[in-house]
Amino acid sequence: MSTGTLYTYPENFRAYKALIAAQYSGAKVKVADNFKFGETNKSAEFLKKFPSGKVPAFETAEGKYLSESNAIAYFLANEQLRGGKCPFVQAQVQQWISFADNEIVPASCALVFPLLGILPQQKNTTAKQDVEGVLAQLNQKLLNVTYLAGERITLADIIVFSSLLHLYEYVLEPTARAAFGNVNRWFLTILNQPQVQAVVKDYKLCEKALVFDPKKYAEFQAKQGGGKPQQQQKPKDEKKPKEKKEAAPKKAAEAEELDAADEALALEPKSKDPFDAMPKGTFNFDDFKRVYSNEEEAKSIPYFFEKFDAENYSIWFGEYKYSQELSKVFMSCNLITGMFQRLDKMRKQSFASVCLFGEDNNSTISGVWVWRGQELAFPLSPDWQIDYETYDWKKLDAKSEETKKLVTQYFSWSGTDKDGRKFNQGKIFK
Amino acid sequence: MCDVAKVQKIAHCLGVAPGNVQLNEEQVVTRTSAKQGAVAGFATILESLANESKSETAQNSKATREVEAQVYQWIEFSVLYVAPGSKDRNVAKQLLAELNKLFATKSYLVGHFITLADLAVYYAIYDLVKSLSPVDKEAYLNLSRWFDHLQNRDDIHQGEPLLNFTTIYLHGWATGTHI
Repeated sequence: MSTGTLYTYPENFRAYKALIAAQYSGAKVKVADNFKFGETNKSAEFLKKFPSGKVPAFETAEGKYLSESNAIAYFLANEQLRGGKCPFVQAQVQQWISFADNEIVPASCALVFPLLGILPQQKNTTAKQDVEGVLAQLNQKLLNVTYLAGERITLADIIVFSSLLHLYEYVLEPTARAAFGNVNRWFLTILNQPQVQAVVKDYKLCEKALVFDPKKYAEFQAKQGGGKPQQQQKPKDEKKPKEKKEAAPKKAAEAEELDAADEALALEPKSKDPFDAMPKGTFNFDDFKRVYSNEEEAKSIPYFFEKFDAENYSIWFGEYKYSQELSKVFMSCNLITGMFQRLDKMRKQSFASVCLFGEDNNSTISGVWVWRGQELAFPLSPDWQIDYETYDWKKLDAKSEETKKLVTQYFSWSGTDKDGRKFNQGKIFK
Repeated sequence: MCDVAKVQKIAHCLGVAPGNVQLNEEQVVTRTSAKQGAVAGFATILESLANESKSETAQNSKATREVEAQVYQWIEFSVLYVAPGSKDRNVAKQLLAELNKLFATKSYLVGHFITLADLAVYYAIYDLVKSLSPVDKEAYLNLSRWFDHLQNRDDIHQGEPLLNFTTIYLHGWATGTHI
């Protein structure tokens, strides 16, 4: 029988997987006491054992080291949890583990972390739809089966269950979960297994969904920045007095979960901005955008050319490829604003003026874009690649007179397109 | 399925020797075993079997006093209502609909784990479910899920051919079907 020590902060849903598995197999697992998130797991001693510095991490009694929660749960499980003797059921278990990691966790984190104040509120995210999509898939599956793999509880159930804990605790209020009756039934069945109850204590299903509170987020950021995570407050106000001491590790701990979340969804703009890798140069987008918004074009456009740093920034002309398909003007405008929304994270290091020329059923879309770096920016991030291929991109020579004209025309929303259609509407990406 | 066969099946599920099971002159099922002597009546026999058994199901059935009471409630229900009711078409329909509704929110009859209550109702309703056409089964998807789950356990099907719920799986991914 396996014995060993598990390193984790309290109430870590990833650690639950291992602890529940151990309840089933009878493996003796000691949770390391005195574990301090951000200290213990960053110490030289810990990093020697677990180079990633992430928790949960497991040290066997024989002094072997295992990281990654699914692997630890597998190690601590028994035959039934691993899918029994049938290779097909074993494969199904793996299938659901991947589903949990790739589908549920990213969607759940994107939805729940802003509510807990760990991440900024994102506009126009698809998090809610993603979560609903995942739940709908599970609901369909669980209409016909009692457990996810085979006819016994397996790691598939435990790991998918653990990945849903945040959602059922913070977001899925009764009306929100009503549509997923089969998932609810299954979730309650798993939650109420004695082996699960022994690990997940005092868990309550959501009564009222959390809403985003900008203050909470600001506090969290301030404290993060201050480098004193020990003094952070727990997001759940009602529990504050009782758990003041516990609050620190939990809060910091949730930031750790963020580390582990899927990169595309861990939306921390600072570290994830691909433009960071490029030299900053002398051109300041914020300053220019301020001037552009507050001053007449007669001032702001000369300002642009005066400040523009051609070495580190580039100007591009983008023209919509399928203009013959454009029909109503408002639909074309939605096309532009939709693209802007999807490029949200590019905003900081770019500026664009995209204009619609012509009228209903006879229009074109084109725009002038400016961003950091000399290459086409969109391939830098998978998030930015949705729309750009529907445009023809041409890099403009920043020094030429022609470019100046074009920039002036687009920035001041005037003139016509190349076939003489009149300017209709413009949209600014800033 | 007659009471004698049911008792024998459930004894196998629990890993207990069924002993001598037969109907006495009053047509009441009795069980005579070395350990507990003669016991009469379906519910009482199930209790005696559970006492001898060390299986997971028997342990679950005695998890708490409340569970225990609910289990016996279902066993009585299976004797008094399910078994006779399943012979009458109209009563059977109502019975299936009620169980189906119940299983919309529960995985098992009592608590959150398999108990004797599931076994008793399963074997009581077996012939009725067997007689359903695939289309009928689609009307009772929750009940079908519970039934299919139980019948797939080795200790419960005991080598009997499994009832076919395949069309229900088809239903799961065929678009545009009625839900």
